[in-house]
Amino acid sequence: MNAKIELPRIAKGKKPIYLDDRSIDNLMAMIMTLTQEISVLRDRLDTIEHLLAEKKTISLEDIDTFEPSDDLVKQRKERRQLLLKRVLLPIEKDLEK
Amino acid sequence: MQPQPNHDESVRQDFVTDLRAFLTDEIYPKITPYYEKNVEPEFIKERNRKPKDKSEVRDLMLKDKSYQSWSLLQRLSQQMMFTAVIDTVERTLDDLIERSKQHNSLGTLELDNEVEIPKYLTAYDIHQQPGGYHTEKIEDDIAPGVVYDISLPIYSRNSMGDENDLLSQAIIGHMQKYIKLPEPERMLDIGCAIGNSTLPFAKIFPNAEIHGIDVASPCLRYAHARANALGVTAHFSQQNAEQTNFENETFDLITSCLLLHETSHDAIPKIINEAYRLLKPGGWMMHLDVYPFHREAIEPLYDFLKDWEIINNNENFSGALRNMNLQQIFEDAGFIKDTIEFTSAEADGQHTKGYTGDFYLKLPIYLAQKPNIP
Repeated sequence: MNAKIELPRIAKGKKPIYLDDRSIDNLMAMIMTLTQEISVLRDRLDTIEHLLAEKKTISLEDIDTFEPSDDLVKQRKERRQLLLKRVLLPIEKDLEK
Repeated sequence: MQPQPNHDESVRQDFVTDLRAFLTDEIYPKITPYYEKNVEPEFIKERNRKPKDKSEVRDLMLKDKSYQSWSLLQRLSQQMMFTAVIDTVERTLDDLIERSKQHNSLGTLELDNEVEIPKYLTAYDIHQQPGGYHTEKIEDDIAPGVVYDISLPIYSRNSMGDENDLLSQAIIGHMQKYIKLPEPERMLDIGCAIGNSTLPFAKIFPNAEIHGIDVASPCLRYAHARANALGVTAHFSQQNAEQTNFENETFDLITSCLLLHETSHDAIPKIINEAYRLLKPGGWMMHLDVYPFHREAIEPLYDFLKDWEIINNNENFSGALRNMNLQQIFEDAGFIKDTIEFTSAEADGQHTKGYTGDFYLKLPIYLAQKPNIP
């Protein structure tokens, strides 16, 4: 095992400014990452709930090997769409003017 | 050969797929009506006419916060995709490299560290893939290839098929329908990256010798291991398509998928001339690329929106390619004038609306045949 490899994380290239200034763009990036993490937590909770419905104790491995059913995949997709709709509502509304 | 994401990595990637779907299907379609109702009338009031071209539309839209919000989100979704994928690749890379070394019995892999990475691939990271396709961080690195392989389904919302080969399936479909090509003895896929568009040719031409070249060694290592894992024989070598070391007139078919728009003004004629040199008399070249040719009329807003990738997703050359006279370049190389065609190959994509529109259904291809005089 090598020391931990660190892959490049930031792409080289122009970095346009989209909104009023770079700090607002950064805020949008931060909000989207937080939204993503809420979604990850929600899905993890969902996995744990489903596993616990089957047995009393569960391991980390149970969580990582959990395969959601097609129905559950669909439910999660719908829930994420709802989350996105709520978070991005102001932007959607602006474009509906 | 693909790594297994853990629970959170997997659902983090799912979020990006769904974010991209939301931006494409729910937000993007609102831009045109918004523009027609809010942005264009302001311009008309001031100037007594509509914006005449995409650059006038650009001036308006880059000042518009509602449009810019979508644009920023679309760009961020690409960055979030790579972050989510790189987490998995970084965590599993040691194991992936070990596995890749065990998958090498079929075909060949020839790397050449003398091959220089062209400036058009080092000046910026195309598609915003951090480090691009060529950067190596560790011996026998395959990371950029793996990152590309698992990000493609997220990028395309699972439009690319189980083996990420929708694009070359479209070339094959077009070829079988419209070109009388005898089964090739030897074919070459240029700018092959991870070989996802190379391998389908091995399946339909089981007796042909299949070659793929690229400048990016980590992608080629992964391409070779991936081909082996899929049980396909193909020969990968590290070469620049502008000037290869293959002998004259040794290929019956030369293809590329989404290569040309990642190159440069100088590189395009060189690549086309090199393809001509390598083709046998009567051989064909077929390039699949990004611009649709079925629109002739100038539609300023459409033209502006179609240029989104150039600035916002590091596709710097793609706009310039659109303005190049490829017909003339193909003719100058020696290809038969009547066989030169810029058309669309039909594909079997699932998503037809929103930002990507009909891209996954009608893929632009450029084809030409070398004269059949030995």
